[in-house]
Amino acid sequence: MSQRKRMLEDLDADIRDHIERETQDNIERGMSPEEARYAAHRKFGNVTHVKEETRLVWSFVWLEQLIEDIRFGLRLLRKNPGFTVVAMLTLALGIGANTAVFSLLYAVLLQPLPYKDPSSLIVLNETTPKVGTVSVSYPNFLDWRSQTRSFSQMAAVHGMDFNLAGVAQPESISGDAVSPNFLPMMGVRPLLGRDFDSSEEKAGTPPVVLLSYSLWQSHFGGDPKAVGRIITLDGRGFTVVGVLPPNYRAPDKTDVLLPLGVWVTDNPEGAAVRGDRGDMVVIGRLAPRVAFARARAEMEGIAARLAKEFPASNDQFGVALQPIRDAFVGDMKTPILVLFGAVLFVLLIACANVANLFLVRGAGRTKEVALRMALGASTGRIICQMLTESFVLSLFGGVLGVALAVAGNRGLSHLISADMLSGSTLNLNGAVLLFVAGVVVLAAFIFGLTPAIHSAKPDVQSELKEGGRTTGGGAAQNRLRGALAIAEISLALILLVAAGLMMKSLYRLLEVDPGFRPDRVLKMGMELRTQQYSKDPAVLNFWQQVLDRVRTLPGVESAAVATVIPLTDNHSRSDVTIEGMPASAPGDYPHPDVHSVSPEYVETLGITLLRGRSFTEQDNENAPLAGMINAMVARRFFPNVDPIGRRFMFGHPSATKPSKWYTIVGVVGDTKLYGLANPARLEVYVPYRQSPRNGMGLLVKSAADPAALTSAIRDAVHAIDKDQPVFAVVTMKQLVSDSVATRRMTLVLLGLFSGLALLLGAIGIYGVISYSVAQRTHEIGIRMALGAPRGEVFRLVLGQGLKLAGVGIAIGIVAAFGLARLLSSLLYGVSATDFETFAGVAILLVLVALLACYVPARRAMRVDPIVALRYE
Amino acid sequence: MSTKEQRERIELLQGTLDLLVLRTLLLGPAHGHAIAKAIEFNSEDVLQVEQGSLYPALHRLIKRGWISVEEGTSENNRRAKFYKLTPKGRRQLALETRKWDKLAGAIARILRPA
Repeated sequence: MSQRKRMLEDLDADIRDHIERETQDNIERGMSPEEARYAAHRKFGNVTHVKEETRLVWSFVWLEQLIEDIRFGLRLLRKNPGFTVVAMLTLALGIGANTAVFSLLYAVLLQPLPYKDPSSLIVLNETTPKVGTVSVSYPNFLDWRSQTRSFSQMAAVHGMDFNLAGVAQPESISGDAVSPNFLPMMGVRPLLGRDFDSSEEKAGTPPVVLLSYSLWQSHFGGDPKAVGRIITLDGRGFTVVGVLPPNYRAPDKTDVLLPLGVWVTDNPEGAAVRGDRGDMVVIGRLAPRVAFARARAEMEGIAARLAKEFPASNDQFGVALQPIRDAFVGDMKTPILVLFGAVLFVLLIACANVANLFLVRGAGRTKEVALRMALGASTGRIICQMLTESFVLSLFGGVLGVALAVAGNRGLSHLISADMLSGSTLNLNGAVLLFVAGVVVLAAFIFGLTPAIHSAKPDVQSELKEGGRTTGGGAAQNRLRGALAIAEISLALILLVAAGLMMKSLYRLLEVDPGFRPDRVLKMGMELRTQQYSKDPAVLNFWQQVLDRVRTLPGVESAAVATVIPLTDNHSRSDVTIEGMPASAPGDYPHPDVHSVSPEYVETLGITLLRGRSFTEQDNENAPLAGMINAMVARRFFPNVDPIGRRFMFGHPSATKPSKWYTIVGVVGDTKLYGLANPARLEVYVPYRQSPRNGMGLLVKSAADPAALTSAIRDAVHAIDKDQPVFAVVTMKQLVSDSVATRRMTLVLLGLFSGLALLLGAIGIYGVISYSVAQRTHEIGIRMALGAPRGEVFRLVLGQGLKLAGVGIAIGIVAAFGLARLLSSLLYGVSATDFETFAGVAILLVLVALLACYVPARRAMRVDPIVALRYE
Repeated sequence: MSTKEQRERIELLQGTLDLLVLRTLLLGPAHGHAIAKAIEFNSEDVLQVEQGSLYPALHRLIKRGWISVEEGTSENNRRAKFYKLTPKGRRQLALETRKWDKLAGAIARILRPA
């Protein structure tokens, strides 16, 4: 039993006892019993009141005070609706922006990955100095796995796409062939059916699949009896052995998982050749208590040993390790952190604004505070009460901010593609709400503490003596308000500089010549995977028919097929040997991107033909091998000679195999294959009929809107093969636009936030100057009575505002100079300390400050000296 | 706000009462009525406090740990709660007494300059 309870329980008895003793004393002094009892009661006082007071001693005083403070705060907020609405909206904007960006940050950087202990999962790739990260070859994976001690487990994941037929519209689905230990290692259990068996890693594994949850829903209607059914992929039946859980995530979309044995069976050569690096990544789980750095050192050692042992395939090949989170985050980390920094700045500006409002209002309340302190309220008590008021306000701002963020989420999801989230979703989950709660508390402290401390130490005597005048403030408060306005301007400047630099980058980037004309060109992908296309003539026949049919469609200007489409993920590279050049070291051969294209490719994409000719229908399987090179190959390898007529071959010359030489017939301009911001690379082109490929992109140049052709082209393809999927349909214009999507998102949001910062900063200056004009009405009146011209008064006020703005801009420029460096990885074609941007932003801020001071300055100019003086 | 300001004013008075209670208990443990009587008697009835206000004061002192309470029997064999000064309370009394002496001395010097 608590002391409190014990003490209060006996209180009634104690009081009764007390009064009885007093009565007894009185009787002993000679009073009648009735008189004695009456006197005792009188002496004791009001019993109920005493009990209440005593109970209060034990009550949760702080809680009661808090409730009282909250009530008082609410009453004050209701009494000043103007103040409340402005402060609440300001906070809501700041908190809303933070909520939205944090939900993005959480989804991409923080949301736990749906694996067991994801922090010890590592993604491994091979790497070469020339091209960077590349896929892992299967024999290398097998050696890594058998030699590593740092990893308790390793699994290979090989991308395998399929054509899914036998449904209304054939489609291309993406799958991963994985080592049987993959799912147990990741800590993922199938929702239905079974996991892969350890025997399913070897050649001869029967075709089985695990369906993704979404494929199960869309193609089997979520039927539990789907397990055991057959699904037709690439014209082959696969037995469904299970379904993945709905929260299964991989960096790229995955529709099916297969045991690695299926891939080994289908690609005996790819699985056996050490130099064959297809599309395989390795995922490993670190053994307990092994640090990342130690695992990396061990793997580098293994890779070096393999390079020595198998120089033909592994010379110069190292290994790259990255935590699995990084594979999901991709290049989103910097933009998100920059945006998060930006919204924190916006929040600080909002807090400064609200603090300013509090100071102005606090000035009107100095008398109230002084009175309360004179009556014995402690400084701490006053600060507590004021902070409670801030919390109430901040809480309302937070609720409104979350509502704003929810409303803004739709806009945000327009800007943020599913790609950027890699399987995560933006929503207001518990973590985001917890963050908002933290922001609410933090904001209340930031904007509430300074004004609270400030108003809790008024000079009691002078305030009470000063009588009815509500001038309040004093020099210290004015200085503080000025400092807050300066801080707002500096923060706004930093954000504007960031937005300006991003804007200039995007502008520069969109100005970049991609080397092709994306206008009115539609692109789509096709992969010929079924048995009927196992021979080259069938493949060539299919592509020829597609081209013939598409060319006759109304509105089509030209059409081509190609293996490599700029700005897509598809690329194919090969070492080449140029005839007559001195032999290179194994790792030093030119390693260009190789395009296998049909004759109208150059025309369809509008690539410049610099010399010679482009391919024609005559460059077919019966004609001499022909090739085109891009300008960079010409510059690098034929600096002083005409490349036309010279020859090159793929791979390295070998004594055992006869060399297949391609004669150069044309030179074309460079194209930006890997994004507008990335440098052009070496490229060679070969006629598709001399280098048949099963997977090609179809490019169609239209006289009008190319997207309108989509269904006509699909119909044409299905007339040739009704089971052939056509996928990844997109205009080249859209592809160019998508390639800068992350930058655009960053720019739009930064622009939005810096605009917000500018607005809040302007309001801040306006508030400070208006208030100062109101305070100085008397002084201005005297000046004018003494003959100061109105223009001078106007300049006086503007000058005060400009001084604040000037200091703010100066501080902001220095800070932005330091902080802009953090942006440099996001910038293109503009330096982080770009003079134009800094100067432009500074001028913009001066103009905005002038605008913000204009209204109060006009007001000052119109002060009537008579009225101002009589006001005294 | 008015209620709080009143309460704060009462608090000032209670502070004095607290000091008197502690001083009384310095002589030994006593029950509530005896404390009230002692204060009245020692101040020669100058300090006419409502006896009831003694109880919030006692409870406050217990909560602060300056006095403790124990069950006992009083002179005429009745059960009663006895309040007793704790070592912490003893130190507090010394501190408060010093402060009080200083204040009283200062006021006396102002009122009756030498």
